[in-house]
Amino acid sequence: MGIYQEKDLRMLKYHILVSPRHDHAVRDVAGILGMGVQPLRRLLIERLDMQYLENLAGRYDQWVEHGDRKDPLDRALGRELFTRYLPLVDSSGMDLILAEARASVEAGIPASEAATRARARLAEVLRP
Amino acid sequence: MKKVVDVSIPLGPVHPCWKEPARVKCETRGEKVLAAEVELGYMKKGIERIMKGRPWQEVLFLAERVCGICSVIHNMVFIEGMEAVSGIAVPDRAAYLRVIVNELDRIQSHLLANFSFCYTIEHETLAMYLLNTRERAMDCLERITGARVNKAFMIPGGVRFDLRDNDRAALLTDLDWIQNEVDRYTRMFDTGPLIATRTKGVGILTQEQARIARAVGPTARASGIAEDVRLAHPTYRKLNFAPLVRMEGDNHARIMLRFGEIFQSIGLIHRCLSDLPEGPIRGGGTCGAGETVSRGEAPRGELSYFILSDEYGRIVDIAIRTPSIMNIDACTHFMLPGVTSLADVTSVFVSADPCIACNER
Repeated sequence: MGIYQEKDLRMLKYHILVSPRHDHAVRDVAGILGMGVQPLRRLLIERLDMQYLENLAGRYDQWVEHGDRKDPLDRALGRELFTRYLPLVDSSGMDLILAEARASVEAGIPASEAATRARARLAEVLRP
Repeated sequence: MKKVVDVSIPLGPVHPCWKEPARVKCETRGEKVLAAEVELGYMKKGIERIMKGRPWQEVLFLAERVCGICSVIHNMVFIEGMEAVSGIAVPDRAAYLRVIVNELDRIQSHLLANFSFCYTIEHETLAMYLLNTRERAMDCLERITGARVNKAFMIPGGVRFDLRDNDRAALLTDLDWIQNEVDRYTRMFDTGPLIATRTKGVGILTQEQARIARAVGPTARASGIAEDVRLAHPTYRKLNFAPLVRMEGDNHARIMLRFGEIFQSIGLIHRCLSDLPEGPIRGGGTCGAGETVSRGEAPRGELSYFILSDEYGRIVDIAIRTPSIMNIDACTHFMLPGVTSLADVTSVFVSADPCIACNER
């Protein structure tokens, strides 16, 4: 019974995500991850409850304004965005990806290149 | 929900403590709540979709039907949005009358929220006292606007009814009565030892958590965030409005803050009545094309309307962000996890004054 109810929520969750404000936020997050919009919607529907989705635009706006202000690499990868504002990955997993990115920078790879690789790694971890 | 333990306790959708249907699923270990999530969809109205393509004269009535408890602010924010789009000015007297009605609506909403909380912690005596007091606030609203729930008091360029002298006198008498009653109940709530066990240190929302979830209104102000849309409203600025803030972030702080805001609202109405200018209550004007985001401070927090209209004043697109969206999120994902007794889940949920009708629209 529980499983059927969970499945039934998918369409309701989808309708929340395609409303104009949510759609802008989803497209921005998909841009950060370098991921398609539809796979990201599926990921959000599977991992977050309806109230997270309803408030997705609000949480994203808060991250844009207040989140990851100290470290540019954290900001590029959305460290707090994906661990606290939209908790899609746990902190330890994110720290691992960031540690790899920092090691790459120390090894002489340009920061932008390291961030791109880290984002690809994060998208891989997140992929449903 | 990802299961981390084998006990998942659903509360609702129909629950005696809740005013509206929603399903809260709690993952527990023993009595302690580890995580919670909300399932919605029991009262989706699709009201934004219904509004699209309709003239403003119809949307005016639909807007206040988003929520029956805070209908005045929905009316006010929509009308102020249409006025901004169309360049319509509001006479001073009408602007003050809007504030009076809005603050009366806040008083009845806060009394209902605190009634709900007291009822949830099974302090029925105080709950019924508060509900009785709310009736007097509702009577005041009915006397001024002619209706108790859906009032449609505000129209582009002004308000529908003026305040008569006898209504003004009755309003002052009722406000004094409400102030005395609420003062007594506030002391009862603040000093009750059994109430303290169910409220102090329960359902804590830290300032940082409130920022992450973008909590608004009394829920945010009870966690130390001094934000209130009324600070940016021209009429409230004339009244030297300043928001109340508490730092504890628990159930007690949220309820006490609402009590405090009732006194503040009474003060604002008194100031409006003493400064109420003479003059017309309707300026006139024609609603036209434009795009705007209109904001207002609902009893539960910031309410915003994105409005796009055409040259005939028809609503081409509209999006409503209600305060309950943020506050229920903050409650479910920050206040409930860590609650040490399942009996406190309902009281913590109700302390955030969740409005499912606003949330689902």
